[in-house]
Amino acid sequence: MNNDIKIGVSLYSLSTEYIHEKLDLEGCLKAVHEMGYKGIEIVAAQMVPEYPFPSDEWLFNFRGLLEKYELDPVCWSAYIDMGTRTDRDLTEAEIIQYTLNDMIYAKKAGFPLVRTQHAISPAIFRKMIPYCKELDIKLTIEMHWPHHPEVDVWKEYFEIMKGEGKGYLGFVPDFSIFQYMPHELYLRQAVEFGCRKEALDEIVKIHAEGGDMAKVEAGDFTEIEKHYAEEMFGKFNHPARIEQFKDVMDCVFYVHGKFYYLDNDDHDPCIPYEELIPKFVEYGYKGYIASEFEGHHFYSDVNCVDQLAHYVAMNKKILEKL
Amino acid sequence: MDFVAYNEIMICQKPIRNYVVAGVTMGYEFQIKYPSYRGCFLSCIEDLYFELDGERLDNTYVYFGLNGKQFTMDEIPELFREYWDVRTPATIRVMCPGGLEKGEHSLRVYMKHRVPYTGYFGQYLTLESDRTAALVCE
Repeated sequence: MNNDIKIGVSLYSLSTEYIHEKLDLEGCLKAVHEMGYKGIEIVAAQMVPEYPFPSDEWLFNFRGLLEKYELDPVCWSAYIDMGTRTDRDLTEAEIIQYTLNDMIYAKKAGFPLVRTQHAISPAIFRKMIPYCKELDIKLTIEMHWPHHPEVDVWKEYFEIMKGEGKGYLGFVPDFSIFQYMPHELYLRQAVEFGCRKEALDEIVKIHAEGGDMAKVEAGDFTEIEKHYAEEMFGKFNHPARIEQFKDVMDCVFYVHGKFYYLDNDDHDPCIPYEELIPKFVEYGYKGYIASEFEGHHFYSDVNCVDQLAHYVAMNKKILEKL
Repeated sequence: MDFVAYNEIMICQKPIRNYVVAGVTMGYEFQIKYPSYRGCFLSCIEDLYFELDGERLDNTYVYFGLNGKQFTMDEIPELFREYWDVRTPATIRVMCPGGLEKGEHSLRVYMKHRVPYTGYFGQYLTLESDRTAALVCE
């Protein structure tokens, strides 16, 4: 059993329950405690009242809730909402201020790490180093689909993480970048939006064989089916390769264990967990993998708690073999 | 498509209420929520309109109420400091002397909104949330 990897949870996994008001924030904390989790991530823009300017009172009370449910604050998830304004993107000063705010809130709420986004830019990322040191907070950028380690800007980020930002600046790979097959909820939705089941099966087959759009164009497919084929091939035919992480694993401070739908405790048919986890361990990753269920984008009738249970069981089996 | 399931929360399943001023019924009110998993600044809303029983409402007579404040529909694109929490309903007040007849009505809400953090390779994802629901006016 490998003990260097811990399975945590992003409260974002409970989005359906939260936005439909079945669980409030305390309810989410209680639910993940009852599921046996220790380490948690909070998406501040989702669950922090008064965001983006939470009060000290709220932040300190939140620490009390974490204590009550025996949970460890692991990641405070922040955004770079570049497109907030209609007339222009955020300026450098605004990005710095919003980022610094999140680092301060994270510190007050007891979190050691802030996840931000790629739009922070290398120049601003570098400027945050003194604040990371002062606050003793790690600042990380999420690497999310459609990005991957070979997108140009990431070379600059890696250089900063390995250089002057070492130990404070890092990144959070989101396992969406390794997704190679469409998930079940995506396919269910495609049928609901007008794709014929058998045509969709054929498109998935073409996708598995490499995603040749010419075959779809030449076949007997409707416009909506062609649209889905194009989207499917574009999204899932070029997953990141695990070897791309070998030389940058020292910069991985946290992982988003993304998944969309599991119907069993053994295997995710879309994201290759059986390959990813052993390789992350081999490349030296130690730390949390956050359970990040994202099927709630597609359907609200999927039970998030059941999904998380499948996810934990699957990862436990993988870790037991290491 | 991502984000689709969140549209379910956009129209609050609460009764429409007539808006009464000093005994005079001046219009009616209903509530909507931001259709996402997280909150957002109002400036990310690029278009928002309503249809009641198939008739499009003139936004001149529609007031958007949130966080204890009231805005005109034309102000929304400028409200980059007004955060709409994902669980906090906005109250839509429609000025319509006489109010609405009691009973069931069909409400359609159309919202086009920008996901402000999605600027991968320079493109913001823009979503169209379009829901219709039957609500009862009490």
